[in-house]
Amino acid sequence: MTIRRILIVDDEDDIREVAQVSLEMVAGWEVSTANCGSAGLKMASADPPDAILMDVMMPDMDGPATFQKLQADPAIRHIPVILLTAKLQPADRRRFAELGVAGVLAKPFDPLQLASQVTEVLHWAR
Amino acid sequence: MITILAAGVSAELVSFLEHRLSGASVKLVRTGHEALEALAQSGWQLLVVDQYLTDPPAVDVLAAMRELPASELLPVIYCLDEHASSELQTKLVKELGVEQLCYHPLDREELARYASIWLKLSLRAQPEERNQEQEAILAAVAGLWPRFEGATLERIELVEQAISALLEGELSDELRRKAEWESHKLAGSVGSFGFKEASRIAAEIERSFRAKASIGQGQALALSELAATLRRELESRPAGRLKDGLAPSNDSGPVLLIVDSDQKFAQLLADEAGARDVRAEVANDASRARQSLGRCSPDVVILDLSLPQESGNGLRLLEELGARHPPVSSLILAASDSLIDRVEVARRGSKYFLQKPLPPSEIIDAVMQLLKGRSARESKILAVDDDPLVLAALRALLEPRGMRVITLDEPLRFWEVLEHTMPNLILLDVDMPHLSGIELCRVVRNDPRWFGIPTLFLTAHRDAETIERVFAAGADDFVCKPIVGLELLTRITNKLEHARLYRTFVETDPLTGVANRRKSTTMLNQLIRLASRLHQPLSFVMLDLDHFKQVNDQYGHAVGDQVLRRLGAFMSKAFRSEDVVARWGGEEFTIGLFGMASQDAVRRMTRVLEAFRQETFTTSAGAEFHVTFSAGVAQYPEDGIELQSLYRAADKALYQAKKGGRNRVHVTEYRSQQLLEKQYA
Repeated sequence: MTIRRILIVDDEDDIREVAQVSLEMVAGWEVSTANCGSAGLKMASADPPDAILMDVMMPDMDGPATFQKLQADPAIRHIPVILLTAKLQPADRRRFAELGVAGVLAKPFDPLQLASQVTEVLHWAR
Repeated sequence: MITILAAGVSAELVSFLEHRLSGASVKLVRTGHEALEALAQSGWQLLVVDQYLTDPPAVDVLAAMRELPASELLPVIYCLDEHASSELQTKLVKELGVEQLCYHPLDREELARYASIWLKLSLRAQPEERNQEQEAILAAVAGLWPRFEGATLERIELVEQAISALLEGELSDELRRKAEWESHKLAGSVGSFGFKEASRIAAEIERSFRAKASIGQGQALALSELAATLRRELESRPAGRLKDGLAPSNDSGPVLLIVDSDQKFAQLLADEAGARDVRAEVANDASRARQSLGRCSPDVVILDLSLPQESGNGLRLLEELGARHPPVSSLILAASDSLIDRVEVARRGSKYFLQKPLPPSEIIDAVMQLLKGRSARESKILAVDDDPLVLAALRALLEPRGMRVITLDEPLRFWEVLEHTMPNLILLDVDMPHLSGIELCRVVRNDPRWFGIPTLFLTAHRDAETIERVFAAGADDFVCKPIVGLELLTRITNKLEHARLYRTFVETDPLTGVANRRKSTTMLNQLIRLASRLHQPLSFVMLDLDHFKQVNDQYGHAVGDQVLRRLGAFMSKAFRSEDVVARWGGEEFTIGLFGMASQDAVRRMTRVLEAFRQETFTTSAGAEFHVTFSAGVAQYPEDGIELQSLYRAADKALYQAKKGGRNRVHVTEYRSQQLLEKQYA
């Protein structure tokens, strides 16, 4: 699938900015950002992106909870979601995978590799 | 021109490989059918195939390929999902001859590296030669750092606050949660700016705060050192450093290199290591082993002596391992038990000599021992002598050998310094003002935390009487002054090594790492004596896993062992150094809690139970389950004044807990009666 527009949802400013710079410069994608799950859902509804990159550990509503809300909305449930997490034990990975997300990527990410990792994940999440 | 066939992978990966591997061209096919057509022609040097290939699927393609004369020996790199069953993985490696498994999401660099090794190709565009575009991106990211530096340092400050509170014994749950959160965030973000080491340290700090059990003093001190290093890393860096080594990784676990020409056995070892969270790499001959060593620094190497001769024999490789910096711990597997071999191997510094055949689990047990020894903090020696010249000489002698020496010239401060620094060995002078070394030694032997610590005396006295007094006070050894450097050094290293081995083999339960029954009985008796002398309470807990037989029956003993191991690790971290945690047998554990009354012990055990309940265990088939335990608590002296009676009382309480529905902690009837009476008094 071709990605042109991607939404990044993360409560941390620095992660959003580095990811944005990285994806814009490496892949040329149009990147929008949200600083929390609820803002992310609003933005996705208003202007659906091709994919969503979402942090797991966020205050108020975490990544998995946001994902479930997204699944409940027929207008945006088709958007593939990739979770970003620093917790990478096999058990955690399995738990996330079972939610039905497109994939899980590790933090901290390498700004040079993020775009290709996202592409790789989405390539296999048919 | 080297030709690689790629089946079912992304076009992007193909262009990456062509770019990175100088002298290689890659042909991409999209279906299994096309792959087989291509493979019927000779001329391929490597096959990279993805699990998701269809029409026919990848596994079928590989099976068919092995029947084709053109490709039957073709090396294969297989890309698959991490959750793939171990049956599949074993089949791929053992039956279908897959050389290397790569997991999604693919690390293209690593895949390219493997390909370069099999094909003996060089990699183009080494990290230093990043292209212009990549440089621009890194510069842009580096440019962002100053805006976030402040907020990052604030996160560290909060973590430091939590650690200070911890050292003062006043860490609230809320502050602890905050510290866990902040360090988690640090671990996940600073790496993207190029701070690889800082990211790793933050993750370690997070793990400590996450552990849900109280953090002992020693660990708190270690945390404060980690935080200091973390701050240093993040404050000291100029913006330009983003350029070197931007490869943050979450993989900070131990690494094992297996060098064995028996591919099947090597894979079994690798699987067993993987089950214990140790990353394993396999090399089938010495030159591949060297390549592997060039790429990563393993913590331990398993080396089978009978490597094929033409690639250089095992002994030479062993020498090279010993010459590395830092030296790599090695474990030798030999087909025969020859004394000459043992000598040759020991001369080259290997740690263990094991004779095949041996089950993989035993070999990996030995690896785990080596890893434990390696990760143990460097040796710390506390030296007490009123003569500053002697202390200076000791420093000069021991520090270059990598031992940390804490010197003390005022014996009155001994206890405070001992508690604060937690050394592995003590050096004492006999004659000192205020307190003699002999008195200090007696004091050390009287304490449940320290009575086992190796203690050596340095003395100018050679007379029989002094020597007798020295040993009567509980010394392990003595060395005469003036100090002969080599002799002291040898005695110290021997003592440290013996102490460690003794603790490991004679006193420790091999599966879980906690004390075994014999050792704990000794220690518990000592604790009881101490409690009696100092008029302190002592709680004795009996703990038994719930429905453990079912775990073994349903998931197999290997999984049951994992549960026990995890429980052992959990318990070691959950209690203080003066508590005695032991595996009494099977799935039964005991804990002796010095200075704790039963109500506190019940509270403590309940918290541990709540935390342990949340641990998720996964089987290789992907099933997840949780485990609980039941516990009974007895108190000295109310429930008994000797170990036997305490044991019986705690056992009764444990029985009540089981009867009451399991997954709970019960105190003895006597105590609960007393507490009830107190309530109504």
